[in-house]
Amino acid sequence: MSTCGHAREHAEEYSMKELSQAVDTCARCGYCKVVCPTYPFGGGFETFSPRAKVHFLKDYYDGRAKLTPEWVDRLYRCTTCERCQSVCQTAIPLVHLWERARAEIVSKRLGPMPAHKKLRALAEEFGNPYGEPITKQSQWLLPEHSPTDQADILIFGGCTASYRMPPMLQIGVTILTRLGIPYAYAGGHEQCCSSPLLRTGQFETAQTLIERNLDMFADTGARQIATPCGGCSKTLKHDYPVWARKLGKPFDAEVLHFSEIYVRLIRQGKLKPVKRVEKTVTFHDPCHVGRSQGLFDEPREILAAIPGIRLVEMPNSREESRCCGAGGGVKANYPQMAAEIARDRVTEAIDTGADMLVTMCPFCQGSFTQAIKELDARIELSGLEGLLLESVTE
Amino acid sequence: MTNLQACVQTLGEVATSDSQILRSYDHDLGEMPGVLMAMVNHTPQLVVAARTVDDVRRALELAARHGLPVTPRGQASSGYGGAIPSKGGMVLDLSNMNRLLSVDAVNATVDVEPGVIWEHLSKALAPHGLDNRVCPTSAPSSTVGGWFAMGGVGIGSLRHGSIRDNVLEIDVAGLDGSVHTYSGDEMEVFHQTCGSLGVVTRLRLACRKAEAMALFAAWFPSADRASGFLEGAERALAPYSASVQSAGYASMRGQADGHAPVIGDGFLVSLAIPRSDADETAVARLAEEHCGKPLPRDIAEAEWNGRYYPMRIKKAGPSALVGEFYIPLERFAACWNDIVTALPKDELGLEAFAVRGGRMAVLIYILDDAGTLLYPLRMAKAMIPLRIAARHGGGGYAAGMWFAGMAKRIFGEEKFAHAKARKDALDPHGLLNPGKLKGPGLPFLPFVSLSGLILFGTAVIAPLSARLSYTRPKAS
Repeated sequence: MSTCGHAREHAEEYSMKELSQAVDTCARCGYCKVVCPTYPFGGGFETFSPRAKVHFLKDYYDGRAKLTPEWVDRLYRCTTCERCQSVCQTAIPLVHLWERARAEIVSKRLGPMPAHKKLRALAEEFGNPYGEPITKQSQWLLPEHSPTDQADILIFGGCTASYRMPPMLQIGVTILTRLGIPYAYAGGHEQCCSSPLLRTGQFETAQTLIERNLDMFADTGARQIATPCGGCSKTLKHDYPVWARKLGKPFDAEVLHFSEIYVRLIRQGKLKPVKRVEKTVTFHDPCHVGRSQGLFDEPREILAAIPGIRLVEMPNSREESRCCGAGGGVKANYPQMAAEIARDRVTEAIDTGADMLVTMCPFCQGSFTQAIKELDARIELSGLEGLLLESVTE
Repeated sequence: MTNLQACVQTLGEVATSDSQILRSYDHDLGEMPGVLMAMVNHTPQLVVAARTVDDVRRALELAARHGLPVTPRGQASSGYGGAIPSKGGMVLDLSNMNRLLSVDAVNATVDVEPGVIWEHLSKALAPHGLDNRVCPTSAPSSTVGGWFAMGGVGIGSLRHGSIRDNVLEIDVAGLDGSVHTYSGDEMEVFHQTCGSLGVVTRLRLACRKAEAMALFAAWFPSADRASGFLEGAERALAPYSASVQSAGYASMRGQADGHAPVIGDGFLVSLAIPRSDADETAVARLAEEHCGKPLPRDIAEAEWNGRYYPMRIKKAGPSALVGEFYIPLERFAACWNDIVTALPKDELGLEAFAVRGGRMAVLIYILDDAGTLLYPLRMAKAMIPLRIAARHGGGGYAAGMWFAGMAKRIFGEEKFAHAKARKDALDPHGLLNPGKLKGPGLPFLPFVSLSGLILFGTAVIAPLSARLSYTRPKAS
């Protein structure tokens, strides 16, 4: 059983009073401790578990505890993977709790962590946390791509896919292009979706970027916003409607992760995987796509539609999927911990005997690329759309 | 260098005296009022997160050398205070000793470290064609060693009995650092005594053949009919596990989950029977004999799938007073009726598990708010069901620290005397989990047992607390 989905979807929708009340319902059962990917990095001491963090926050809200540098550090050692939230007996919106705690830390100038401050500074200056000039934003476009200024579908590339891991984005747009589906792209005007800022409690800068994106969305008149990134799609889908209301700006576009588009096209018969791809694959559910958006069946439906693909599941899959280690600002500030979490997940994938590890988030793909290299493993790594493109290409 | 510093230095990275970390070890699942917690020195001075038997041995030797009390701890997923220090000292966190040591598929046994989690063990046994015989409803977090140290029944107890019935052999580390193996009756003193006679470092468990369950659910108009059905079921249907819930509990669950309760009145009985033994017609016939109505399969499946989520009702709380006791099955209905009469102002929820040999382990839930002024007074209500059960031939479920005053009754006089004699011989300074066999003394009156005071105090204020009902604010 999972209590996933009980919690409301937006951190900003919870008042402090509501979060404090939710904390009061903690059953102290420890289910969250057992599934937390970062707890084991605390030397095996209870204090590093989500259960202990909830206990601390209860003390803090009741004025019995202070935010010490050690507690600030512990509260940032969380990938916001939502695993704790999905097993919570009383459905406490734990990830919202962590994010609000981080916002509190930032507001008191006790945080964020050094790497997160750099992300914010870069995002403020360049509009993306990688510090890339905005002129490079469209460089992922291939010659065959033909975006328009206005169309029903607006491609939101996202910073990681646009600047660092373009294949998922490129392949997805190639598929749309080849099917003759028009799409718009606001290259050069797209700002960071603000996921890294929201997850690390830096709401002020996030607001500025979100505001710019909301204006850009309104200008394009897009009815659907499509992105290959798990973090971007979660943020656009769950956080943007709340911020739009708060900022008094319109936002009624449907947000789609690329996998949702592929599934629709397959079901409509427009996308026909015909060529056999003889691979045994295992699928990694990205936390912010799976647990955050409930997209568990879609990727499996796509894999099932590709002839020749044999799917072997990892012991921890779907709602129980393990984290890649990258989310919540962890990879930026705690790279060693993130790398070890990623290696554990890749090892789990290898143990299935699969030839290939498939995922659908550039962030996860980046983590696994590094982990495979570090493990000197033979398992291949691919984005879901890579297999799809191979199968539809004669 | 203080004794404490010497311990931390000797034990290395598995030990800490960081006050922020110590704070995480001063409580368990129970929400006890501050005034009660203040009567015991519940904050340790040192925590050792043991990973190996050697860590345990070294920690115990150091504790003995420096006269530090030692409180062993699994996941602290019980609310009896068994894993809470009563005299500060060292908490020995065993949750990281979580390796499966060996599986004997032929004899259907498994050897595990004490920190192995029940649900993980079930998954690890699956490739061997085996599964846990019994497990607690807190299986996703509670540990094998912790359940043995506290004692208890749960899923599977209708066929396989208690945790004690399914442990075949244990290794126990003593204060001198030696480790001894015990089996059969020799193990008895280590069961339920919260590690106050030694720290369990290995357990051999009996397993069952892994087999899918046929699931059934039926509604019964009264506790009497429900218990009649269970009596017949144990005799004729070869069930693996059976649970009962009252309409009040179903209502709490419905409120917590945001849906209509699965039953509006009466009782819901859920049965799990291994497929090879299941006879759907026989179940339906027996239910009808006791005025029951079979419920749709999806209800039975939802109950089974939610078996590890009993505390979800707290969402509607935010706290829950819990009274827990054993009762002979034939007295279950009469006992329930008396409890309802004794607590007329409260919405009561009952969840019970059938235990082999015609017994029930019953939990009575009363929703409350631990943050309110009168909570310490209302807490006395949690003892009322237990006292009523005692009048019907029932008894306490576990002792831990808070109910150590009932240990003699819960363990039985012979076992209690044996445990006490062993304690005096092996631990004359009372360092191993002090306050868990006879309860801690009061801070300024050490000869007065806190547990005895709790039992006396709750008995005195019970009539008043029964009149104090908690009104929950309406959900926003």
